[in-house]
Amino acid sequence: MTKRWLVLPRLSWRNVRRQWRRSLLTGTAMALGVAALVFSRTLGDGAHEDWIDSGVRMGSGHVAVQDPEYRASRKLEDRISATDLEAVSAALEAPDVASYVERVTPRLEVIGLANSPTSAVPVIIMGVDPAAEAEFSQLGVEQRLVEGRYLEPGDRLHVYVGKRLADRLKLELGSRLVLSAQDATGEIAGQLVRVVGIFQTGVPESDEGIVHIPLSTAQQWMGVEGDVTTLAILLNSAWVVPRVLRSVRARVGEATDGVSVLGWRETMPELDAAIKLDDFWGYLFNIVLFVIVALAIVNTILMSVLYRTREFGVLRALGLTKRETATVVFTEGLMLTVLAGLIGLGLGFGLVWLLFRNGLDYSGAIESDFTFSGVVLDTLIIPVFRWVQVVMSLGSIMVIGVLASLYPAYRATRIDVAEAMKFEA
Amino acid sequence: MSKQPAVHTEEVWKVFEHDGIAVEAVRGVTMDIQAGEFVVMAGPSGSGKTTLLNLLGGLTRPTRGKVWIDGNDLTEMSERQLAQLRLRRVGFVFQAYNLLPVLTALENAEFSLLLRGVPDEQRHRQVKALFEKIGIAGLENRRPAKLSGGQQQRVAVARAVVGEPALVLADEPTANLDTATSVALLDVMTKLNQEMGTTFVFATHDERLMARAQRLIRLVDGAIETDDRRSAPAAQ
Repeated sequence: MTKRWLVLPRLSWRNVRRQWRRSLLTGTAMALGVAALVFSRTLGDGAHEDWIDSGVRMGSGHVAVQDPEYRASRKLEDRISATDLEAVSAALEAPDVASYVERVTPRLEVIGLANSPTSAVPVIIMGVDPAAEAEFSQLGVEQRLVEGRYLEPGDRLHVYVGKRLADRLKLELGSRLVLSAQDATGEIAGQLVRVVGIFQTGVPESDEGIVHIPLSTAQQWMGVEGDVTTLAILLNSAWVVPRVLRSVRARVGEATDGVSVLGWRETMPELDAAIKLDDFWGYLFNIVLFVIVALAIVNTILMSVLYRTREFGVLRALGLTKRETATVVFTEGLMLTVLAGLIGLGLGFGLVWLLFRNGLDYSGAIESDFTFSGVVLDTLIIPVFRWVQVVMSLGSIMVIGVLASLYPAYRATRIDVAEAMKFEA
Repeated sequence: MSKQPAVHTEEVWKVFEHDGIAVEAVRGVTMDIQAGEFVVMAGPSGSGKTTLLNLLGGLTRPTRGKVWIDGNDLTEMSERQLAQLRLRRVGFVFQAYNLLPVLTALENAEFSLLLRGVPDEQRHRQVKALFEKIGIAGLENRRPAKLSGGQQQRVAVARAVVGEPALVLADEPTANLDTATSVALLDVMTKLNQEMGTTFVFATHDERLMARAQRLIRLVDGAIETDDRRSAPAAQ
C-alpha cells in the first residue's frame, strides 16, 4: 500500500510542473510574501533591539534590581543594602546567568536641586561608578560629549552635566555648583561639585534633568556608605531577559530580605508599549499581505481543479478514492507552498544581507533626532537574523498554504465522476 | 473461471432530476453479460447507453434496481469499495481518450497496476508486452500530447485491459477517430477479446463496431429494445 501513496505526490509534482506558468505566478506571490515578512522581521527586530538597547542604556538596564518600594517612592530610604547587593552579585555570577551579563553598574539616585549663583534646577542626581557607567550608559562617548570629559575613577567632587542644564545655570567647564538633596537622616544636605564635562543626548529631559557624580561621593554625601538604589544590568541580548529574570529572581528571593528584580518592560513601560504597537502594525501588514497570498493560492489551485474536472473524474474511474483525489490536490498546494516558502526565505534573508547587512540608514527621511520616552533612536537600523524568523516565516506560509489548499481539495472530492466525463475544459 | 456472469443487472432504473423534472435515462434494464463476451450497446443519442455504462462501471448509482459485477453487488458498496472494484475489476475506455497528460504512455497504461502495488519490473514487462501486441511499441516514453488520436486511444485500451479486469467498458471509443484508425483500434480490441478473453461492453453509434458485435443490444428511451446474440467477433 505504501507504493500506492507514493503515486499521489508524484502526480501532484507533475501537475505543479505542468502548469508551470500558473505555478510560477502563484509561487512568486508566495515567495515575495515570505521575503517581505523576512525583510520586515529582520529590520523590525533590528530596530527594536536598537530601541531597547538605547532605552536600557539610558535607563536602568535590561534588568534592574531595586528595593520593592523604590520605583514608586524614589526615596533614599528605599535602597538596597550592601549585604543584599552582595547576594545579587553572587546570583549574577551563577553559571546560567553569567554568560548573558555584559555590564553591571551600581547607582545611587536621588532627586535634588542643582544650584548655581544664577538659578536652581530640579535634577536627578546619579551617583555612578565612573568606569562601569562609561561602558553602560555611554553618556560619555564622543558623540554625546560636547565639552570636557566623562567622570573617571579617582574623581571625587566632579559632576558631568547636560547641555541644557549648563545653559540654564550658565555653567562652563570648571564651574562650581551646589547639589542639594535630602540625605539618609532626612536633612537637606548640600554638596559642592565642579563641572568636568558637558553632554548632549538630544533628549531634553536628560540634557536638563540628569547629572552624574562619582558613586562614592554620593554615598558619603547621603550618608549611605556601600548602599545603592539601583543595580542596573546590561545583558548581551534583550531576548534572554525572561530567562535571566527567572533565574536571578529565584536566587535573590532566597538570599535577600526582599529586593525587586525588574525587566526593562516593567521599568520602561512606554518603550514596551511602543514596541508592541510597532509589532502590531507590522503583524497587521503581514496578515493583510498573507490574506492576499492565500487568495492567490486558492485561486490558482481552484482554477486548476475546475480546469481538470475531467482528469479528476478519470482518476476516480481508475480507482482513486475521494480522499486520494483530494490528497493529490492538497499536495500540489503544499509542494508549491514549501518551494515558494524556501525561495522566499532565501530571497528575503539574501536581500537583507546583501543590501542592509551594514545597516539601513533612514536619517534622510527625518529632519532631526528621533526620540521618545527619553530614548534617542538611532537612524541606522542594523538587521537582526534569528532562527525564530525562519521558523515564523516558514510557519506562516505553511499555515496559509495548508488552509488555502483545503478548499480546492474539498472541491475535488465533490466531483461527480459521470458528469466529469462530459466536462470540456 | 467463475461460472457467474461478468455483469448482471436487475430492474435497473436511473432517474435524473433537471429543474424539478424527472428524466428516466435508464428504465428497468435487466440483463446478463457473460465473461468473454464482446457486447455492443447501440441506440440513438439520449437512449441511455452512456448512463447504463456508468451504472455498470460503478461511476453512478442506480435510482432503483441492482447491479452485480463479477458477483459483487455494486448497490451495497461504499464509495471506497466501489473505487477498489473499479481499480481491480473494471477497465474504462472513453471517447476523448482521457489519458493523464502529466504521465507518459507507459505510466498511463501501468497506472492501475501501480495503484495495486505491482512491482516495477512486472508492471513494465506487462505493459511493454501489451504495447507490442496492440502496435504501439516504442511510444512508451511519449506524453499524450505527442501521440496521435489513434495512438492515445490504444494507450487508453492498454490502460483498461492491462490489469485483466472482469470487463472493459468503452464509451464511443471510435467517435474521435478517422476510419482507418477506427478499424485498426477495433482490430486491437477484437484481438484482445479473443486472445485474452477480455469482456468488452461498448456504447456506440459506429456501424463498423456494431458489425463486429458478438451480441448487439439496442436501447431506445432507456430500455432494451432488442438483444441479439451473434457469432464470435472477427477482425476485419
